[in-house]
Amino acid sequence: MNSTATFAEERNPTDWQGDVMQKRIRKRYAAERRFKALGLGAIILSAGFLAFLLIVMVGNGLRGFTQTELPVEIDFPAMTGGAAASQFEGANGQANLRTLGVQDIVNASVQIQYGEKGTELFSAGGWQAVSAAILTDPKIVETKTTLYLPVEAEIDVAYKSDGSASAEQKVTELDDKLSTGFNKNFLFNSDATDPMQVGIWGALKGSLITMFITLIIAFPIGVLSALYLEEYAPKNRFTDLIEVSINNLAAVPSIIFGLLGLAVFLNLFGLPRSAALVGGLTLALMTMPVIVISGRNAVKAVPPSIREAALGIGASQMQVVFHHVLPLALPGILTGTIIGMARALGETAPLLMIGMRAFIATPPSGIVEPATVLPVQIFLWSDEVNRGFVEKTSAAIIVLLLFLLTMNALAIYLRNRFETRW
Amino acid sequence: MTELLDSTSSSESSTMTESSAPAISAGDGPLKMTTRNVDVFYGDKQAINDVSIDVTMDNVTAFIGPSGCGKSTFLRCLNRMNDTIPIAKVTGDITLEGEDIYAPKMDVVQLRARVGMVFQKPNPFPKSIYDNIAYGPRIHGLASTKEDLDNIVETSLQRAGLWGEVQDRLQDSGTALSGGQQQRLCIARAIAVDPEVILMDEPCSALDPIATAKIEELIHELRGKYAIVIVTHNMQQAARVSQRTAFFHLGTLVEYGVTSDIFTNPTEEKTRDYITGRYG
Repeated sequence: MNSTATFAEERNPTDWQGDVMQKRIRKRYAAERRFKALGLGAIILSAGFLAFLLIVMVGNGLRGFTQTELPVEIDFPAMTGGAAASQFEGANGQANLRTLGVQDIVNASVQIQYGEKGTELFSAGGWQAVSAAILTDPKIVETKTTLYLPVEAEIDVAYKSDGSASAEQKVTELDDKLSTGFNKNFLFNSDATDPMQVGIWGALKGSLITMFITLIIAFPIGVLSALYLEEYAPKNRFTDLIEVSINNLAAVPSIIFGLLGLAVFLNLFGLPRSAALVGGLTLALMTMPVIVISGRNAVKAVPPSIREAALGIGASQMQVVFHHVLPLALPGILTGTIIGMARALGETAPLLMIGMRAFIATPPSGIVEPATVLPVQIFLWSDEVNRGFVEKTSAAIIVLLLFLLTMNALAIYLRNRFETRW
Repeated sequence: MTELLDSTSSSESSTMTESSAPAISAGDGPLKMTTRNVDVFYGDKQAINDVSIDVTMDNVTAFIGPSGCGKSTFLRCLNRMNDTIPIAKVTGDITLEGEDIYAPKMDVVQLRARVGMVFQKPNPFPKSIYDNIAYGPRIHGLASTKEDLDNIVETSLQRAGLWGEVQDRLQDSGTALSGGQQQRLCIARAIAVDPEVILMDEPCSALDPIATAKIEELIHELRGKYAIVIVTHNMQQAARVSQRTAFFHLGTLVEYGVTSDIFTNPTEEKTRDYITGRYG
């Protein structure tokens, strides 16, 4: 009793309403507001950068999906000497078309309409569009048809934006005839020297194959490593060393993985240069540490009580891991895999080291065929002197970003599915 | 220390004669598990020092003692859950039905099916109620048909007193149940693999009094069907649910005997101090 009395006497009550206290409150509020404003500013800034990137890319890139065309009237019956539509149907169509000499027919028609130097107005490979048109609809060879063929790259650039003086002059001359059409070549062709004829399909297919190989190698090995390290491996110096090594591997510059791939897969194993298989293997080396690290964290995050519960009713270690730990860790593992795969998809440097920078004019038809991938294709096109490649580069970037978005969307969908199931 | 040695030696002799031990007498049912001179080390630190206890079929055995006294550690030796801790080392003899459970030929997985466990915090799998119960029978191949499995699930839930509450929503997630229901689900899950012994590690410490009462009632009903060992902080609970009580202190078994004796007439000073609330 005595002590509490003294305490009450000695106690100097805090002045909650006093000036000092009010000032402190105001300061605290100001700090909160400042922090919120800074955070909001950071968001707005990053959103701005993103919007800028997208606007520039889309603005430039969309033109890559279009082509400038000139109409060419082709009098097939006169030119071919009366070829029948049936010749170009079915299996022999392609062979018969080759004997027809489409290129000469097109050049002759162009010269009739646009003069002796008319062929210079058109893209060198433009006649292929006529072949494609005949194959899709053979009936046109029996009629007089007007087809729209892509113009030469400089004129294309001049028509779409600013080009060289001579090209601009041609554009003014032909202005009423020039039109813009959808560039099918860009979606279905591969690399070419003529920007009017280049396409993304080869690189896209190369990327698909490479990513597939990366995934089927890096994902199982990464996940199994993570599970083993977390659930089975004894905790000792050796496993500590492995952990440190894996963490370091994840931070190693990608070009070094390229050198490793070059030394191991090409020189030691003798795998073909520039193949999607080697690219996939090299990128798998790069992606694996990321998957292992995220996998270990996800496995660590599974509550020990679940393991105990399963062990307590007599599940074996493996049953605990595969029935309980892995399903619960899978969303986290998938998140890490998305990050790793996205990084692998955008990777250029290591692929240059294993020879994927070659000029590949046909899409790869297998894992050991020479292939290129989207980022390398972008890199190569950005290096081209011809101005027609500028918009193609941007268009390829759009394709790459779309690919990335699709891949991530798929992975997020899968992740959410696993999350709701559990 | 001398008393401890006495009690150890007397319980040791009980395996020979089955009559002179204070804890085990006629009417306690068959002897299920015995432990002799068990020491547990975590690295250099000794967590359990020379503990010998018998678990019988018809008695609920309670382990009481202050926090950190080793009662949970000792409980986890009985189904070798301590194996999961790499630095833990168990010496001494622990037998189930006369078989040494630490013998090299003993299959740990089977042992844990025979000696089920219920944990402090309810830990249902994040699966449906049905799958929670069916998991054990599935991995041990206890049911050959869907009907068998359905039967096991139903009887287990009935024995755990949960059937009436969940029979209409067996496909709901087990984690959506209330804490008390989750704990009974965990008991049902342990029962589903048809164990001989059920170890309960403070099963009510995360539950409210009503849920606790239900679990205690359940323990009463399960007594005799399974040998039950329960670790508890709550002395009243030990008095209510158990017939034998072991009092642990700092890793040693201070006293082990008939629950009513322990609570009304303990022979050890420490036990008396603890149950009268002088420390702990």
